[in-house]
Amino acid sequence: MGIFASVLTIARWEVKRSFTTLGRNVLPVAVVLFLLLFLATGFTARSGMHLQDGIYTLGIDDPGLAVILGGDTRFRVFSAEGDALLADRGSYDLVIVEGQVLLPRTDRGRAAQKTLERDYRQYMSSVYNREEDLFAAYPLWIDLQDVKSELSFEATESGQYLSVRQRSGEPPVPEGPVAEVATPAPQLPVPEEALREGLLQEEGTPDQITRYTGLLSQEPGNLTFRTPSQLSPPLPFDSIIFVFAFIFPLYFTSQFFMMSVMHERIERKGEVLLASPVAPSVIILGKMLPYLLGMVGISAAVILASGAPLTVLLPLIPVILFFLAAALLIGMLSRSFKELSFISIFFSTVATTYLFFPSIFAQVHVISLISPLTLIVLELQGEGFTAGQYLYSTALFWLTSGVLFYAGTVNFTAERLFSELPFFSRAREFVAATLSREHPFRSVFLMNVFLIPFIFMVQMMALVLFFNLPLPWSLLLLIGSAAFIEEFAKSIGVYTLFFEGDARPGAKTLVLASVATGAGFLVGEKLFLFVMLTQITESVFGSVLFLQQGILLLWLPLLLHITGVLTVSLMLRAGGKRWYLPGLLAATVIHGLYNLYFILGWMP
Amino acid sequence: MNARHVGIIAKKEFFGLNHEKTILLAVLLQLFVAMFSSFLMVGLTSMYDPSSLSTATRVRYGIALAGSSSTLDHLLGERADFQVYRMDLSTGIAALEERKLAAVIYVPPTPPDAQEPVQVTLYTLQNDIQTAVVQVKLKEVLLEYEKELREVRETRLSATPRDVRFPAGPRSEGFYEFVYGLLIPLLVFMPAIIASSLIIDMITEEYQHHTLETLVSTPVSFTEVVWGKVLACELLVPVQAGAWLLLLAANGIPVANLLPVLLLVSLSSLALILLSALTALHYRERTAAQFIYSTALVVVILVVIALPGNPLNVIVRAVSGSSGMDLAGTLGIVGAASLALAAVTHRYAERIGREAQLES
Repeated sequence: MGIFASVLTIARWEVKRSFTTLGRNVLPVAVVLFLLLFLATGFTARSGMHLQDGIYTLGIDDPGLAVILGGDTRFRVFSAEGDALLADRGSYDLVIVEGQVLLPRTDRGRAAQKTLERDYRQYMSSVYNREEDLFAAYPLWIDLQDVKSELSFEATESGQYLSVRQRSGEPPVPEGPVAEVATPAPQLPVPEEALREGLLQEEGTPDQITRYTGLLSQEPGNLTFRTPSQLSPPLPFDSIIFVFAFIFPLYFTSQFFMMSVMHERIERKGEVLLASPVAPSVIILGKMLPYLLGMVGISAAVILASGAPLTVLLPLIPVILFFLAAALLIGMLSRSFKELSFISIFFSTVATTYLFFPSIFAQVHVISLISPLTLIVLELQGEGFTAGQYLYSTALFWLTSGVLFYAGTVNFTAERLFSELPFFSRAREFVAATLSREHPFRSVFLMNVFLIPFIFMVQMMALVLFFNLPLPWSLLLLIGSAAFIEEFAKSIGVYTLFFEGDARPGAKTLVLASVATGAGFLVGEKLFLFVMLTQITESVFGSVLFLQQGILLLWLPLLLHITGVLTVSLMLRAGGKRWYLPGLLAATVIHGLYNLYFILGWMP
Repeated sequence: MNARHVGIIAKKEFFGLNHEKTILLAVLLQLFVAMFSSFLMVGLTSMYDPSSLSTATRVRYGIALAGSSSTLDHLLGERADFQVYRMDLSTGIAALEERKLAAVIYVPPTPPDAQEPVQVTLYTLQNDIQTAVVQVKLKEVLLEYEKELREVRETRLSATPRDVRFPAGPRSEGFYEFVYGLLIPLLVFMPAIIASSLIIDMITEEYQHHTLETLVSTPVSFTEVVWGKVLACELLVPVQAGAWLLLLAANGIPVANLLPVLLLVSLSSLALILLSALTALHYRERTAAQFIYSTALVVVILVVIALPGNPLNVIVRAVSGSSGMDLAGTLGIVGAASLALAAVTHRYAERIGREAQLES
């Protein structure tokens, strides 16, 4: 109970402190700015974006047509006699003489033509929309029906896109049972005038923006029946909107937490807090609580405002915790505001990439599930997600946040917080603090167990990145990067613990440390795999990352992990720190060859 | 004001950036973005213009046709990117569910010249990247079919719209407007936004670490300190923006008017940097200054973009080599705005410097 009370007290202080630093003259200005923001948004929405005004020039011999096409601000339209236009073609991107469009065969000319074609189509529909006989103007209507692919989660395990292409001339035969589908009625169930109204309404509204605003507010506005020109492809990249709507407010708020942590370090302000009889974990929890509640509140508000189900909050919570954990460490590590800015920008770019790119493939590939955003996409589509899927895509976030918080708590001491060492030295100190000098082998072992989720995160990112390349390259790059990432991670423990300063540990110590590292790594990997990632590991890409296929004995990978780290440490011992990178590369080569041998069966 | 002092301060800031390896981080960031850029390109372009997806793949998609036969059979069969099968509707949909087909089309028995419209039903997979591609391709065929049907019913139409004929030939891939009209203005102004948030850090740091007293006790005046920091940030902008533009040129995206564009970007960035320097001088505390500045920045960008002939638009037209923009005029206006802001910043810094001297 006492701990709980202290957490609350510190949380209260934190709220009070942030209001006194922000409150005095910031609040009125902020209110004015938000009012201005509101007005500016309205102004921009009304006057439109004038970014691409006048990038093309258009010469027309028909003044009437010039007026019609002049509505598009992208064109600067000039009216002149046909002969004059033809003589001076070089100074226009497009020329229309007697209804014929003439253009230079350049990218620019073609881009201008595309824009003009779109404008002309709009003009034609505005004419057709007013035809007496609507079904002569629009003789074809399309009823769009979505079919859900009934493929189970396991079916995409092959690690490839499921292709819908066909090679032979034979029609495909479904393997499963064929359900009887009713023949659609030949008549439109909607009266002619309702269709006309829909067409007139759509006139002049740019679909570029409305489809995104409609997506979040989930307006049912879209017609079920469309003319061919109204067909707009479904967007596979909807998830970028979710990044903006859900993740950006979180970045913004975590910045305040980052700054609050940094604030304690300026001029040793946090000394008072550290001197109080509460544990560092309590201080961190207390400081974090207001931000955690704030972020959950903001997310809930966004969800409610967009009319999405509140279950969307579930996948967001581990993401929030991860951001807070990262913010804590960034605030503790950076020495200056500049460093804070850059590291936080860097972190947010990487995190956005991790969250955003996989979710593009929602429903296409199992890989998409490594991002919690995919769960949000699924939930918003009304499909929901299972507990297993939730575990799969959020486990890495839960685990890494836990490890990061642990590292933050251990280092939340006066010595670490107020040290003025460069970033990398400080980072090393932070790692060293999590290790115990009395039980070096045990801590190296444990550290490698806990490093596994981070390694998986980085490797997943490499997987998503290289997945887009053609097959031999994607596999080779993946093998190389996976090996490098693993060797680097394994070397961290040994490097920080045994090579501090100019220390040169004995060969026996290094062998023991390597055994501990390799064992820790293997145990972590296997534990993680058995619990979590059976899905991805069965694909050919998965076997590169978490090689286990075909190797029934555990001693082989163990030997590999030990050899890798031993290579690095022996080279470090022999040549000093300059030999760290060559050592890493050597270990990577060994590791890569081993993987190649088992995956591709190269080497006799 | 002593130019040498300003130079010394700028050098100090550069040294600080270099020492902290933050520059390294910035380079790493650019590399990271570049690495994902091919992916980003496809993703963002298709968001900006979904029909650009149609050129993305060159495979044959299986399409099942059910119901009555029509000229659609012929139109679809002509296309090299479709493999058309005549199938029973239920079987076709079952095959679609197993992803053995890309789409199923049901055509009703309505005759082409009927009073009522022809209502075609199109079955596709829900929210699928390939569906997007297939739909774009199918749209072309369906437009063709619509045109044929419309010709059959032509006598029933009353209006005669103006006729515009487009030449046949390869169609644009839709990257042009995206690259020149969106990506380039975004890339060249990114350094400006980074630089202006950097100067807040530089100024508030001196206040919050109480290093200002030491700095002002040297022969360097407070105004010179501020100008040194502005200079350091301003110098970063053309270097970074120029690097982006040269990288684009190396990737086969030619950039016209490189030097005037860099000049315009530098002048506009100067205005942003001065604005954020003023915010930092006023609040003297990072959280508040960054918060107010970033909100103000969004307001400024929204308003600027809504104005015809704004600097961003001028940049778009300049890099794409469009004619008839007023580059000199825009440079003049932006320059005048920066000068006015510079005068305000100078005055304000002098006042703060005097107050600080009086206090000590």
